[in-house]
Amino acid sequence: MTLTANRAPAKTDPATPVAKRTNPLRFVILAALLALLLIVVAPLLIIAINAVKSPADYATGGPLSLPPHLYWDGIVDFWKRVDFGQKLWNSFITSFTVAVLGVLLSVLNAYALGIGKVKGRLWFLVFFLVANLLPQEVLVYPLYFLSKEVQLYDSLISIVIIFTVIQAAFGTYLLTSVYQEFPTELLDAADVDGAGKLRTLWSVVVPVSRPTLGVLFTFFFIWTWNEFFLPLVFLVSNENQTVPVALGVLQGDRLMDVTMTSSSGLIGILPALLFFLIFQRTLTRGITAGAIK
Amino acid sequence: MILFRAGLSAGALLLATSLALAACGGSGDSSSDEGSDAKVLSLWHYEGPNSAMGIAWNKAIEEFKSSHPGVEVKFEEKSFEQIQQNAQMILNSDSAPDIMEYNKGNATAGLLSKQGLLTDLTEESGKRGWDKALNSSLQTTTKYDDDGIMGSGKTYGVPNYAEYVEVYYNKDLFKKYNLQVPTTLDEFTKVMDTFVQNKVTPLAVGGAEYPAQQILYSLALSKADRAWVDDYQLYKNKVDFKGPQLKYGADTFKQWVDKGYIAKNSAGIKAEDMGVSFTQGKFPIMISGSWWYGRFVNEIKGFEWGTFLFPGNKLHPGSSGNLWVVPEKSKAKALAYDFIDITMKPEIQALLGNNGGVPVAADASAITDPKNKELIENFNKVSSADGLAFYPDWPAPGYYDVLVAGVQGLINGSKTPDQVLTEIQKPYDENLADLGK
Repeated sequence: MTLTANRAPAKTDPATPVAKRTNPLRFVILAALLALLLIVVAPLLIIAINAVKSPADYATGGPLSLPPHLYWDGIVDFWKRVDFGQKLWNSFITSFTVAVLGVLLSVLNAYALGIGKVKGRLWFLVFFLVANLLPQEVLVYPLYFLSKEVQLYDSLISIVIIFTVIQAAFGTYLLTSVYQEFPTELLDAADVDGAGKLRTLWSVVVPVSRPTLGVLFTFFFIWTWNEFFLPLVFLVSNENQTVPVALGVLQGDRLMDVTMTSSSGLIGILPALLFFLIFQRTLTRGITAGAIK
Repeated sequence: MILFRAGLSAGALLLATSLALAACGGSGDSSSDEGSDAKVLSLWHYEGPNSAMGIAWNKAIEEFKSSHPGVEVKFEEKSFEQIQQNAQMILNSDSAPDIMEYNKGNATAGLLSKQGLLTDLTEESGKRGWDKALNSSLQTTTKYDDDGIMGSGKTYGVPNYAEYVEVYYNKDLFKKYNLQVPTTLDEFTKVMDTFVQNKVTPLAVGGAEYPAQQILYSLALSKADRAWVDDYQLYKNKVDFKGPQLKYGADTFKQWVDKGYIAKNSAGIKAEDMGVSFTQGKFPIMISGSWWYGRFVNEIKGFEWGTFLFPGNKLHPGSSGNLWVVPEKSKAKALAYDFIDITMKPEIQALLGNNGGVPVAADASAITDPKNKELIENFNKVSSADGLAFYPDWPAPGYYDVLVAGVQGLINGSKTPDQVLTEIQKPYDENLADLGK
């Protein structure tokens, strides 16, 4: 984002091309940005290199050598070994459901707190903020016993419920502050037109804040997709596991299989990456954008 | 990461108390045909399909199916991490498997046995002769007392394989400098001197993980006897960290660093990188566990290599492998016992051995592959002398990190051997105090 923001004005500014080229500061900034980019991308690159390297080439060449030929068996073997298609589906269905439900819950909460101006809303917000800051490790044991009581241990439904609540806590907090700034003109106009509370929500508030909701949706999806700890605890059976949990299968007691771990890492991160690229435009529109036109 | 662990262990403690309370209520009688009419055996382990254990156990599952027609085997390959972190929670729920692989040790199998989550196998193991197949140092890790401390009490698990630390060497490099396989520590030192004189660092060491502390422990063991190991590992008597064993270990380790046997920069090297550097032929010698063996057979292409036991030692770091345990909530206990019995059969044991594993009940003559024969013959030498001395980090929870830090201090020269010994004695003694010993 920083890169595009820097480049855009430079292009539309034809008056000072010479000064631009000679200004050494620009080179320094460019070099710094390139270095940063490299640092960010380097781990991904190393994973990609090792994912298509055969174990024998790894053993002789080490992690940084380029593979002499492309070796796809690591990826294929891993896919078959853990039944990766199933894990992808599990991850997709939980992340998607959580994202939809999480956004829905956040909107309803934030409408009440931000626009409805419920009594004591500051305390509600503090509560949501605290809920959001709680480390998951603290929640594990209570959640474990609760889910066992209601027969949801080892079930995707438990994960959907837990993460809907966790994500909605953040969503509520964020969205409430957006809705507090919501233009009263629009609300008054809706009121004059005779729209009830629900009608106002669905026909005025939600459409206007759609970009923000899109951002929340994208984040909820990716965050849930990348969750490891709680799914590891709650999804016991292999047929219920999500992608990050399945990746753990390769981490042994003392030994690790670097090439296959890289392969699994690569195919594990691809879906989230794709999703991110698809929804990237939603994100760049800004998290608080679109409050008023 | 540290916070995360701390939170986890605090939680584990909480859970442990509540589980212990719950466990007091009902521990059923375990007659040997309990659950023999079950139609499903759910079985978990976390070994890769191409590892020695994975191959042998697959075969065992097949044999089980043919001897138990009508029983469905539901096998799931688990991640080590998942079992390690969640075993308590899983075994206390209805999702518990009927039989599973689990880590040996006080903090794992010992803790679960104390909480009443594992089935007592003492009777079954006597009846089926599993106890006779295992020598006494292998049995140490299968027995846990009422406090969950290994070495005595009831049998809660059965290991199929073992592991031990030995010396891997690059035959080509030995030949290049005209060196013989050393049989005493002195000869070993001379071999390493020759390498140093020729500007070759002799030892591949991973100082950031388990390998370095195992070298120090091997050196201490060269001055130790079984009684000392029992003192150190099973808390029979108080251990003097400044006594001849550990002092010799730390001092000699320091000398090895000073003489250049161990590179200064190896303090930051991980075990994985140590293994790769050896397969690349960058170092002539690596002292580490038998778990590398199968991998080296497949991956070392550039030179000839071999193994020998740490020269002069009667005791070697090593132990039984992970255990088969039967959860108390298992619905098919009798079937689980049948399965364990199959894994102890000679043909399954031989299959394990022929694929680079170390079978516990090994008959070296049944091992056809010459490379694997060397591994198993060496193990039998250790085992027949009852020479497995376990691992240095076993005695106290969290001791692994203490030892890593201590040995790193020796490698990069920031601490003297004396300081290191004082430093590693403290948590050891604290743990003893916690146990009331």
